[in-house]
Amino acid sequence: MQNLAVEARGLQKRFRDVEAVRGLDLEVVRGEVFGLLGPNGAGKTTTLEMLEGLQPPDAGEIRILGRDWRTQGTEIRGRIGVQFQSTQLDDKVKVREALEMFASFYPRSRTPSDLLRLVQLEDKAEAFQSRLSGGQRQRLALALALVNDPELVFLDEPTTGLDPQARQGLWDIVRRLQSEGRTVLLTTHYMEEAEVLCDRVGIMDHGRILELGSPRDLVAGLQQPSHAEIEFLGEPPDPAPLAALLGRSVDVKSPCWVIPLSDPRHDLQQLLNGIERLDVPMRQLHVRRASLEDVFLQRTGRSLRD
Amino acid sequence: MNSWRVFSGLVGLGLRLYLRIPAAMFWIMGFPAVMLLGMGTVFGGKADTEVKLVWAQPVPGIAVDEALRKSLEEAGLTIEVVPTNEAEDRWRRGKLPAMLEGTDGKVRLRMNSYLLIQGKQIESMAQQGFLAAQAQARGVESPARIPVALESPSGHPLGSYAAFLLPGLLGLNLLMMGVFSTGIVDVTMREKGGYKRLATTPVPRHVYLAAQVCSRMIILLVSGALLMAVGVLAFGVRNQGSYAALVAVLVLGSACFLSMGYFLGSLARTVETYGGIANLVFLPLMLLSGVYFTLDSAPRWLQRGAELLPLAPLLRILRGIINDGASLGAMGTELAIVGGWTLALFVLASRRFRWI
Repeated sequence: MQNLAVEARGLQKRFRDVEAVRGLDLEVVRGEVFGLLGPNGAGKTTTLEMLEGLQPPDAGEIRILGRDWRTQGTEIRGRIGVQFQSTQLDDKVKVREALEMFASFYPRSRTPSDLLRLVQLEDKAEAFQSRLSGGQRQRLALALALVNDPELVFLDEPTTGLDPQARQGLWDIVRRLQSEGRTVLLTTHYMEEAEVLCDRVGIMDHGRILELGSPRDLVAGLQQPSHAEIEFLGEPPDPAPLAALLGRSVDVKSPCWVIPLSDPRHDLQQLLNGIERLDVPMRQLHVRRASLEDVFLQRTGRSLRD
Repeated sequence: MNSWRVFSGLVGLGLRLYLRIPAAMFWIMGFPAVMLLGMGTVFGGKADTEVKLVWAQPVPGIAVDEALRKSLEEAGLTIEVVPTNEAEDRWRRGKLPAMLEGTDGKVRLRMNSYLLIQGKQIESMAQQGFLAAQAQARGVESPARIPVALESPSGHPLGSYAAFLLPGLLGLNLLMMGVFSTGIVDVTMREKGGYKRLATTPVPRHVYLAAQVCSRMIILLVSGALLMAVGVLAFGVRNQGSYAALVAVLVLGSACFLSMGYFLGSLARTVETYGGIANLVFLPLMLLSGVYFTLDSAPRWLQRGAELLPLAPLLRILRGIINDGASLGAMGTELAIVGGWTLALFVLASRRFRWI
């Protein structure tokens, strides 16, 4: 029990006629980076807000760092750090002032210069919040979330809208948080991010967690954990002859044929033989490991980005 | 966490942020001073401001009836004789409240229906002068007039329009700060998630909000002091009452209208809808409470109604202190109305306040 940072049972939340969260169980172990994954509207943000103590659940139990929001709210708030997708601070507040203001709310806090170094905003200390770029604002929001040296950090879509370089930088910071022994609970709709960063992920859809586990285990548990892509120059030809020969389905994703592999050792051999027999005018062959995207696709029949 | 340290830090930051927004500074600090200087000069003048009457010259080259002219001037009017076409031109452009036409006993006064208040004054003076001229023509001695004494209601000798306007602007400032500045910031903080972010920290909401209210009160007191200084320097308007009472009333009024701002803010989800709500409250309050002029000619029920809203009694108290040197004890009814509104709005605003 003691080593759980987040413990939620049977969470439900309803907004008028929308059931945002319907019966959600979640356990996040201390020191772990946990990702909530899902399309927009899956209930990730509502779940996070209930865990952050912003929305009381209609039903269910929450314990954060072993404490109850209803009786130990102030204590919990002192130990968690929160970053939202977008937080509009006062336009005319300077970066350093924002950090000082938030620091004053906690009995113990990290110094502004320390935090600015961590998120690489040292040269922006005296800049107005309104003059920061999107990535800089995101980093300021992260610095604000770390002001109180929190044990548990909530990050809601921390890299949405960031360029690849800024995203890398943020990932480095998250890894560092973990190496310092903190627990991180983040939401994202980038599969790659979840696979790279998270020890475990929960895949959400329609207010429920569909799959829970480490990214590697989830992918390995797929019926077809990998697939072959046969690439053509221009439009691929009709794959029906190959499909008939192999006795399995072949999808067309221009300019490729995509063939799911359940047993790569055997399937790949068979595939290469078929290609040779039919003299397929292919250009390249790639074998790819399935991703969390495919896990979602298999569970819901929909793509994450729809 | 030391609440006092958090509070004073937030007050300091609030003041610094306010100083960085030129538009807000103008509306709270500059605008009242500009209004006082402008309107105090235009409408204030001296107590014996001349009343001008344009007399359209009947025929070019032929003089107007000199006897009538003399009587009109004795009645207090300043007569300006102008060629008919020029007078017609000024009349049509709506510049004249009244215009005298004709001569030799066949004169006619044309009055501008848009400017009746000014016109009425001119008319009564013109009628008097006309009666006197007729009496003189018949060889009768001019009838005596009622003696007139010019005094301010407070009885102190500098009761100029600026002295009437200054307390009105002080009160208006509180209303603007509450309904516009406070309400808009409140709605924006909720709409953009600023409050939500604060709600995840241990800062108690009453400490945060008290700091916001306190920094706004400081700004209001500073702007009030500035306005008083302009009043003294430009118009010689001095506070006849106690400064302690004045500050106490301004603090009470700030509490009233800042609560109003937070209450109105709780009614709107977006800044756009808030604009409508704010104007719906601000305009009637400003127009009905006698900020710029007394509402003596308004229907009685409207005047009575306005007296029950918070701004009109507040202005009565402010005018009582500044112009009459009245003590707070003498204005119990007004204080009770303002205090009642403050309490009601504070309770409503506190109950309805939401971080999200």
